[in-house]
Amino acid sequence: MARWLAWDQPDRDALYRLAFALKIGENHLRDLMDWLEEISLRDGLQVRQILGNRAVSDVESDPRLGRADKLKRIKDQIRRRRFPRLAQTEDSIRARVQELKLQPEIRLTVPPGLEGGRLRVEFDASSQDELQRLIAKLADATGKEAMREIFGLLAGRTPADK
Amino acid sequence: MKEFLPEEIIVERGSEGSLIYRNLRAALPQVPFRFVEPNGQGPWGGILSESAAGGRGATRRGEDISTANGNGDFGAAKKKLLLTRHKGEFLKKCPGSDGQVCCNYFVVNFASNCPMDCSYCYLQEYLAQNPALKVFSNVDDLMAEADELLAKHPRFFFRIGTGEITDSLALEPYIGFAREVVPFFARQPNVLLELKTKSACVDRLLGLDPKERVVVSWSMNPQPVIDRDEHGTASLEERLRAARRCQEAGYRLGFHFDPMVEYPGWEDDYRRLVEEIFATVDWRRISWLSLGVLRQTPGLRRIMGERFPRTKLLTGEQVSCPDGKLRYFQPLRVAMYRKMVGWIRRAAPTVKIYLCMESKEVWEQVFGYAPSCEKELGNQLTNFGI
Repeated sequence: MARWLAWDQPDRDALYRLAFALKIGENHLRDLMDWLEEISLRDGLQVRQILGNRAVSDVESDPRLGRADKLKRIKDQIRRRRFPRLAQTEDSIRARVQELKLQPEIRLTVPPGLEGGRLRVEFDASSQDELQRLIAKLADATGKEAMREIFGLLAGRTPADK
Repeated sequence: MKEFLPEEIIVERGSEGSLIYRNLRAALPQVPFRFVEPNGQGPWGGILSESAAGGRGATRRGEDISTANGNGDFGAAKKKLLLTRHKGEFLKKCPGSDGQVCCNYFVVNFASNCPMDCSYCYLQEYLAQNPALKVFSNVDDLMAEADELLAKHPRFFFRIGTGEITDSLALEPYIGFAREVVPFFARQPNVLLELKTKSACVDRLLGLDPKERVVVSWSMNPQPVIDRDEHGTASLEERLRAARRCQEAGYRLGFHFDPMVEYPGWEDDYRRLVEEIFATVDWRRISWLSLGVLRQTPGLRRIMGERFPRTKLLTGEQVSCPDGKLRYFQPLRVAMYRKMVGWIRRAAPTVKIYLCMESKEVWEQVFGYAPSCEKELGNQLTNFGI
């Protein structure tokens, strides 16, 4: 509260309006305040300018979205602005995973914040045949360029580093 | 570098016969000294100032310790100096960081806190409850303890540093600690002493013979980082000049690129920094280089935000790591390390480089291997060190 009170009145108002409309809980609010303050300091912007960005306001006014979805998307937008290269690397990895065209039974995931540099592979099967099929599909994927790029991205290499 | 001129020096009774006390008296004649009875003993029940010794009143020791602690203000605590005896063990194993590759390093604490004031300094949190700038007067005890440890393990080669909870040399012109211990460590067959600093206070070291047993090392950052976040430290030029003088005097050198800071233009600044170092000193007499990115606990982050609200160090793309510290996200920092290693290797192909407080995964991504255990890394550094 003291932290919020230390902001300029228009910044306070901008966050209050959003927090009230979306009934944002304490933990989400703390994340948002951290990111907003850090973006503000880094980019020399006012909080109200960041919240007034179209990417945020479009979500806020989208009648098709419920309150929880709006909050999730707005948080994602602000996190992307706070961590642009992390978000870009995550997007690149996600795109490579899609390129592999694996079946839904096989899931490739990376750790939060990409810390640890490891790719997690999960799959489940309901028969021996299905298991053999999934393993064959996975084995095929391991040789693809997209898979090589996924590990490259986790190790701080971009396709431009080739 | 900003000159150290404390507002006062508080001396615990029992320390006034020490060499450190005499050095302080000689070096800082203009600074008032006050005396305190240890543990509140004595006829005054505590603190005794020089004026009080003449019979004009006294204050209590508790008040004085509070004063030395800056009354809760970390910055204020740096403006006074407390000379006291160290009652516990001087030598400790460096705690490293949970789950990270460790380099088997020992630390000896001859002082606590530091007269300089880097905005990222972990001591702001580590010493938050006891921030007094302290120097321990019983150097003889320190050397006796080291002597016993080294003699007890003659087949183990120790790497011992004095820069863990203070700067090794920033107070040297006033206290003369290093001048006292360098000859002692130089005589030992199984140790390398590392004096780690951001100062240029090396004058008193130059006439000593380190006999290949003392490494003087510098924390290095480009001048823009020094200007923004290493308050009161020596400039890059001063550090480089001091390093060169130490090398010419027979010392081996170390450089720690730690914390590396990522910002627009960091690559040019750090590449030039590496080039400047190798243009100034002979890399073949460098014992080791370390790399470590900016990191902090959430608690330190809060303190940094309060003490240095305009610092941009908190705006980097840092994420929480398994040891609870925040670091630049792994692909970003691995790319930073790899670039640094490339620039260093170009100038110094075989110099030993290690990572500070990083995981095996990061080691493997940067170097293609990770030390199998802390002993292995410690041995490698020792072999390069001597």
